[in-house]
Amino acid sequence: METPRNQAKARLFDGETAQEHRVILNALHRDQIYVQISGDTLDTPLEWPVKDLRALRDQSDGSRLVLSYRRDTDDEAPRDPARLIVTDPDWLAWLHVTHDDLFTRDLHKGTWRKVITRSAMAVAAVVLMLFVILPRMADTLADILPIERETAFGKSVTAQMERFLGGKTIGALHCSNEKGQAALERMMARLSQGADLQYDINITVFDHEMLNAFAAPGGQIVLMRGLLEQAGSADAVAAVLAHEIGHVESRDATRGALRSAGSAGLLSLVLGDFSGGTAVLLIAEHAFQASYTREAESAADVFAIEMLNKAQVSSDGMAQFFDLIGGEGGLELPEYFSTHPASDGRAVRARRNSDDQDVTRPVLSESDWQDLLTICD
Amino acid sequence: MTDNVQAFLGRYAGKRSPMFWLVIKTSLLTLLTVGIYRFWGKTRIRKYIWSSTSADGAAFEYTGTGTEKFLGFLMAVVVLAVYLGIVQMILFYFGLTIFSEPTTQAEMIAQIGAIYITLFAVMPLIFFAQYRARRYKLARTRWRGVRFGMEKGAGGYVWRAIVYYLLTAVTLGVLTPLATFNLEKYKADRSWYGDARIEQHGKWTALYRAMIHPILGVGIFLIGMAVLGATKLADLSIVLLIVGYIWAMVGVVSYRVQSFKYLTKNKLLAGKITFDTGIDTGTIVTTLILGSLVMGIILAALIFGAGVLVALSAEALIMMLGPVSLQIVLGLLYLMALLFSGALTMAWVTQPIIEHVVGSIAVYDHDDTLAAIHQREADQGADAEGFADALDVGGAF
Repeated sequence: METPRNQAKARLFDGETAQEHRVILNALHRDQIYVQISGDTLDTPLEWPVKDLRALRDQSDGSRLVLSYRRDTDDEAPRDPARLIVTDPDWLAWLHVTHDDLFTRDLHKGTWRKVITRSAMAVAAVVLMLFVILPRMADTLADILPIERETAFGKSVTAQMERFLGGKTIGALHCSNEKGQAALERMMARLSQGADLQYDINITVFDHEMLNAFAAPGGQIVLMRGLLEQAGSADAVAAVLAHEIGHVESRDATRGALRSAGSAGLLSLVLGDFSGGTAVLLIAEHAFQASYTREAESAADVFAIEMLNKAQVSSDGMAQFFDLIGGEGGLELPEYFSTHPASDGRAVRARRNSDDQDVTRPVLSESDWQDLLTICD
Repeated sequence: MTDNVQAFLGRYAGKRSPMFWLVIKTSLLTLLTVGIYRFWGKTRIRKYIWSSTSADGAAFEYTGTGTEKFLGFLMAVVVLAVYLGIVQMILFYFGLTIFSEPTTQAEMIAQIGAIYITLFAVMPLIFFAQYRARRYKLARTRWRGVRFGMEKGAGGYVWRAIVYYLLTAVTLGVLTPLATFNLEKYKADRSWYGDARIEQHGKWTALYRAMIHPILGVGIFLIGMAVLGATKLADLSIVLLIVGYIWAMVGVVSYRVQSFKYLTKNKLLAGKITFDTGIDTGTIVTTLILGSLVMGIILAALIFGAGVLVALSAEALIMMLGPVSLQIVLGLLYLMALLFSGALTMAWVTQPIIEHVVGSIAVYDHDDTLAAIHQREADQGADAEGFADALDVGGAF
C-alpha cells in the first residue's frame, strides 16, 4: 500500500485537555504502517497504527475525517479518546482508498451476551407480568372489591355504553314496556329457580338494533333490541341471558377491567412509539385481551348450559343462536383474534347437550314471548 | 474582566436534503424492524446534528451508541413492567372503591375521568426519565475531545419538579418563572464540561419580563370572554378571542425563547467562561409557521397525488386481488404519509430552528481558561435513556 509522500497539517485534541494541538502527520513504515503525529505543543510524537484507525460515522462534513484508533478503553466504543481532524485531500484519499476498516463499528467484549441476557430478562418480566402476576392480582382484587362498589362501577359502565350508543341522557335507551318487563322477569325467575346467585341481576334492554348483549360488573346485564328481534325464540334469548349471568357470577367484567388497567400501560411501553405504532398496539392489545377472554367465554357457556338444564329449558335455542352469530360478519378472524370461541364448536356442544336433556319446557309461553318482543314499543 | 478574551461563535452546517433522507432511511428501517432500529436511528440522527454543530471550527461529537440505548431500554422495561403493571392496577382498584352510582351524565363523566387520574402514577417516572435523558445526552457529547457530564440527581429532580409544577398549576401559571428557573438551575449546576463546572446565575423574578406576551394574550382572551358575557357585541368578542388565543400561543414560544436567552446569558463555565445568545423570537416563530406551511404543502401534494393514483386503480386492484388489497394499499399510504411528515418536519422545521439557536450562541473564553480544562471520567450511564424511550419522553431527536 502506497503511503502519501507529503506531510500534512492537521489538528489534534489529545483527549486529556481541551487544548488544541496544531500537528504534522507523517507515515512511518516499521513492522506495520503508523501515522506519526508531532507538534510543538506535544511532549512526544504520537504513533497510531494505521490498521487500527477509525473514523467517526454519520458526519455532516464530507471534506474532513475525524479519526481515533481502536483501543480497549472505558469509552462507549473501544476507542482512544484522542481525536485527529484531517482535512488534507491527499491523506483523505489515501485513507478512504486503502483502509477498509475505517468505518468499522467495534463492540466491547461481551456486548452480544449482554444483549441476549437482557432481552431474555425483559421478555420474561413482561410475560410474567401479563400472564401470571397481573391476572392473579386482578382475580384477588376482583374478589375483595365490595359488591356495592362493583355494582356502582357496573352502572357507570352501562351508562357510558348507553352514551356511546347514542343515548343523550341516562335511561334514554331503556326499554320499559310493562308487559315486556313482566315477561323478562318471568324468564329470569325461571332461569334462577334453584340457582344460588350471589348477585342481584339487573337486566336492561337497550333500544338499539345491534345483535348484542353484555354483562357489566356487579350484576348489570344489557340486552339489545336487535338481539331480541333476531334471536328467533325465547329459548335462545334465555341462553344468552344465562351466558351473561355466568359472566356476572365469575366477575369477568371486573376482572377484565382490572387486568386491562394493568396491561394497557405495559403493552404501550413495550411497543414504543414509532410510525404506525398505534395500529400495532391496538392489534396486540386486542389479541391479548381476546386470548384470555376466550377462556371466560367457554366457562360462561358451561355455566349457561348447566343453568338451562336445571331450569329444564332446551339448549337447542342456544345452538340456534350460535348458528345465527356464526353466520354474522363478513371478515372471518382466526380463533385467536376473536373474543368468542368459534361459534360452530359452541353450537355443536349446545346441540349435543340438548340431545341428552330429558323433559324440557319452553322458557316463556308464546304470548309472553310476543310481549317481550314489544318491550321497546 | 481582563483584556485577554477570545470569542467562539456557534455555527450549524447541517443541510436539509441529507437530513431528510437520513430520517427517511432510519424510519423505514425502524418500520421494517418493528421499532427496534429506532435506537440506532436516533443515534445516527444525533451524530449528524452534533457533527454539524461547531464552535471555532471544532465540531461537537456524539458518542452514544444504538446498542447501549437498546440495552438501557430492555432494563427500563423490566423495571417499568413491574412498577406500571402493579401501581396502575392498585390505583385503579382504589379508584373503584370510591365509586358511587351515577345519577347524571356529568357525574358519570367525572367518575370515568377519575379512573384516568391513575395515569398520574407515571408522572414521577417521567421527571426521572427527563433528568436521566439529559444526563445521558451530556455524557455522550464531546467538544475538542473533552466530555460533558452531569452528576447523579434524578431523585432530587423528581420531587422538585412535582412541587414546582404543582405550584405552577395551583397559581394558574403565575409561578411559571419560579419553576422554569429553579429546575433549570438544578440541572445546570450539576452539569460539567470536563473538570469545569457550569453555574446558573441570575434571579427567577427576572423571567417575568419574558411572561409579558403570554399574559397579554390570556388578558385579551379574558376581555373577549367578558365582552361576550356582558354585551351582545358578538363580532367584537370573537375578534378579541381569536387575537387573544393566537397572541397567547405565540406568547408561549416567546416565553420559551426569552427565558432561554436569560438563562444562557447568566451561565458561567469554570468561573470565567461566559455565554451570550442573540436568539430571536421573530425568527423562531417565522420558521415554525413557514416551515409548517412548506411541509404541509409538500405533504398535501403527495397525499393528493397518491389519492388520485389509488382512486384510479382501486377498481382494478379489487378485481384482481380482492377487497383486502385496497385496505393494505391505503394502510401503506398512511404509513408513508407518517414517515414523510416526520422527515419533512425534521428538515424544514426542527433543523432550521437548531440552526438559528446554534448560530445565535457565542462563548467568551477569558485568560485561556478553556485550554486548561481537563478530561472527565466516562459516565457509564446505566439506562442510556431507556426510561425516556419507554415512557415516550423527549423531543424530536
